[in-house]
Amino acid sequence: MTLLSLTRRRMLAATAATALALGGLTAAQAQTPPGVLVVGQIAEPQALDPHAVTAVNDFRILMNVYDGLVRYASGTLEVEPALASDWTISDDGTVYTFTLRDGVSFHDGSPFDAEAVVFNFERMLNEDHPYHDTGPFPLSFFFSAVESVEATGEMEVTFTLNAPYAPFLSNLAYPTGLIVSPAAVMDHGSDFGRNPSGTGPFTFTEWRSNEAVVVEANPDYWDGAPELEAVIFRPITDANTRTAEMLAGGIDVMVEVPPVALGEFQGDGFTVHEQAGPHVWFLILNALEGPFADVRVRQAANYAINKEAIVNDVLEGTAEVAAGPTPPAFAWAYNEELEPYPYDPDRARELLAEAGMENPEITFYVTEGGSGMLDPIAMGTAMQADLEAVGFEVTIETYEWNTFLGEVNPGLEGKADAAQMSWMTNDPDTLPYLALRTAAWPDEGGFNSGYYSNPEVDALLEEARTATDQDRRAELYREMQVIVQEDAPWVFVANWVQNAVTSDRVEGFQLEPSFFLLLDDVVKN
Amino acid sequence: MAGYILKRLLSAVPVLIGISVIVFLIMAMIPGDPATAILGSFATPENVAALNEDLGLDKPLVQRYFIWLGNMLQGDFGRSFALNRPVLDEVTERFNATLVLAGSAFVLCTVFGIAAGVISAANQYGLADKAITFFVLLGISIPSFFLGMMMILVFAVNLRWFPVSGMWPIFGDRTIWVLLDHLAMPATALAVVATGVVARLSRSAMLEVLRQDFIRTARAKGVHERRVIWGHALRAAMVAIIPVLGLQAGFVLSGAVYIEMVFQWPGVGRMLVDAILRRDLLLVQGGVVFVAACYVMFNIMVDVAQSLLDPRIKT
Repeated sequence: MTLLSLTRRRMLAATAATALALGGLTAAQAQTPPGVLVVGQIAEPQALDPHAVTAVNDFRILMNVYDGLVRYASGTLEVEPALASDWTISDDGTVYTFTLRDGVSFHDGSPFDAEAVVFNFERMLNEDHPYHDTGPFPLSFFFSAVESVEATGEMEVTFTLNAPYAPFLSNLAYPTGLIVSPAAVMDHGSDFGRNPSGTGPFTFTEWRSNEAVVVEANPDYWDGAPELEAVIFRPITDANTRTAEMLAGGIDVMVEVPPVALGEFQGDGFTVHEQAGPHVWFLILNALEGPFADVRVRQAANYAINKEAIVNDVLEGTAEVAAGPTPPAFAWAYNEELEPYPYDPDRARELLAEAGMENPEITFYVTEGGSGMLDPIAMGTAMQADLEAVGFEVTIETYEWNTFLGEVNPGLEGKADAAQMSWMTNDPDTLPYLALRTAAWPDEGGFNSGYYSNPEVDALLEEARTATDQDRRAELYREMQVIVQEDAPWVFVANWVQNAVTSDRVEGFQLEPSFFLLLDDVVKN
Repeated sequence: MAGYILKRLLSAVPVLIGISVIVFLIMAMIPGDPATAILGSFATPENVAALNEDLGLDKPLVQRYFIWLGNMLQGDFGRSFALNRPVLDEVTERFNATLVLAGSAFVLCTVFGIAAGVISAANQYGLADKAITFFVLLGISIPSFFLGMMMILVFAVNLRWFPVSGMWPIFGDRTIWVLLDHLAMPATALAVVATGVVARLSRSAMLEVLRQDFIRTARAKGVHERRVIWGHALRAAMVAIIPVLGLQAGFVLSGAVYIEMVFQWPGVGRMLVDAILRRDLLLVQGGVVFVAACYVMFNIMVDVAQSLLDPRIKT
């Protein structure tokens, strides 16, 4: 027994000493300092080259380091001047001439001028450009309508498009249109993505792999120096750990709070921010073959699914019920008169009876999770239950996200009758143009995986894309939404309400409908 | 001895080549490709084909394997396209972090596991033995990621003794003390199961030895009981314990994946999980080959250590 008691005493002493020593250390480890905002990100960024990346997670950093020629006015998805102070559009909608802002420099000291803008677009679009090999540039097709970009003056740039293309301006406001420093690209080549230089409110300082990206205030920012001294972006991929860091004070801002964790932040120490964005979550229905080839069965599915319950119970209020293919965040193009399909199982049964299919068998593709997909498995099983309640016989097949995209994007023909999908876009043109037109069927290179086809919708979308008058475009989109809702090529389910939590030391924080994170007006005490 | 080591090293070569073929084939066979992962919703067949060409993935499979193997033999593991940096830089940096974590967990499970096993055996069926057996069973039964989450909740969020996650603080100097501060919870969570296993096996190994004649002789000669247990018996039992430690080293290395996710430790396990989800082929392949090589080396070291302790093992 002497052996035991000795050892136990020693072990106790050792444990106590360790705990004390470590506990003492943590006391020295203070809260995050004032003036420095620590943002909990959902993943390590891929690169800080805005032309090379595609993830919203990366955009959250990039929008604070770079500016584009234009940007979205705060709280809207409407374009306003940024690095371009003014612009004109030719009557036929193919020539855009931008006057650039004077006296702006990149963080590396090189001047911002027309040649710099030309360099940016040539690098992305021209395969013979000497720095095209610093890519790949996966989203360069945003600018595939650009035929030429020329410096028509020291501070004047002219874009010539191969056809009128109304979304051009909002594409310029997207991160793919941000302007990088040509000098820095020449200096760093392929490593530019880890040595970024732009004109934005914050200057890149340091990237510690898998730990933090640090940016400091740019005191010479043309739109007024930011209030913060610095921002630190920390990648914390695990949602539970991110929540714990927020509760423990290790981060000041947390984005994409999981619905189940929102309850933790109801107290005084935190503020929950919410903002609906240009996002729509829907089921693609296979209109080519099977039960959903009949419009009545498609409408029946829309009536059968209880979207209110999904939004409130499964997603805990982190989304709103979608009425049609266009999210309400595009306020100028959204049809306010559109009412979502009500939850009406009896009407669904009637429609199925009319169609002569009381128990249609369907195969339903569900994904495990993916960008903008919210909680797809829980949502999928809720939908399965709703559909079965009115007579559908639903078989779910579940795929990991990349596999899922590989199955769904080439089209559902011969495989499935329904598939989950969500899109986040920057212009009301993008989603319907890529996913609802007849000319966007998968074999034509589009995303119309359910083979919806309505010549009226095709004509409206073509015209809306080429009209330069915004009011006319809005009218066309509103008309399109009514027809598409009636034709029900999709089950319109939800529009995601983006959320974020800030600690009580953070002031002036606001989420944008664009889902970007703009920090130049934020204060931290 | 040198011949034995050389033979073991040579036998590792086919193992590593086999691993490189397997990981390459698995990454080629799983559905989804890097271009789709990068493009996400924008992955039209056209865009995917163009990007695959940019990434050099349009060549035949066999050709791609030999290009990869050839480059790797020259020390060029390629470039991760998701992280936009050389694979080897990323892997070695991340592997160091994993070594710190798994190494500490290994030390913890060795020291506490053997100590618990020895104390248990020395007090067979006594109070200490029962208590230790109880805790060992408890430790083995708790999944490490769950234990990690509970530790975060109690010690980081509620008590605020330790930081929630990460390896280094965001602010301040990088001293050994702040590293220990960040290491305490993940290393403990990772070590618990392995400690239990080591304790159980050390206990039975010790019981085996304690029954032998030379122990009775030592006791009869009046050697102090502490010396009998910790000197004579443990030394003899180590021959049986060391192979278990070798297995546990592999266990803490692979278990580190969960712990790295929970504690956001910037290690190679978390890197591989992220890389697989992003279909970052070269990073997955390079990472797996690198980790496998280290594991094979470690096993060779264990075998050599064992043959030093017990010359009969050398074959």
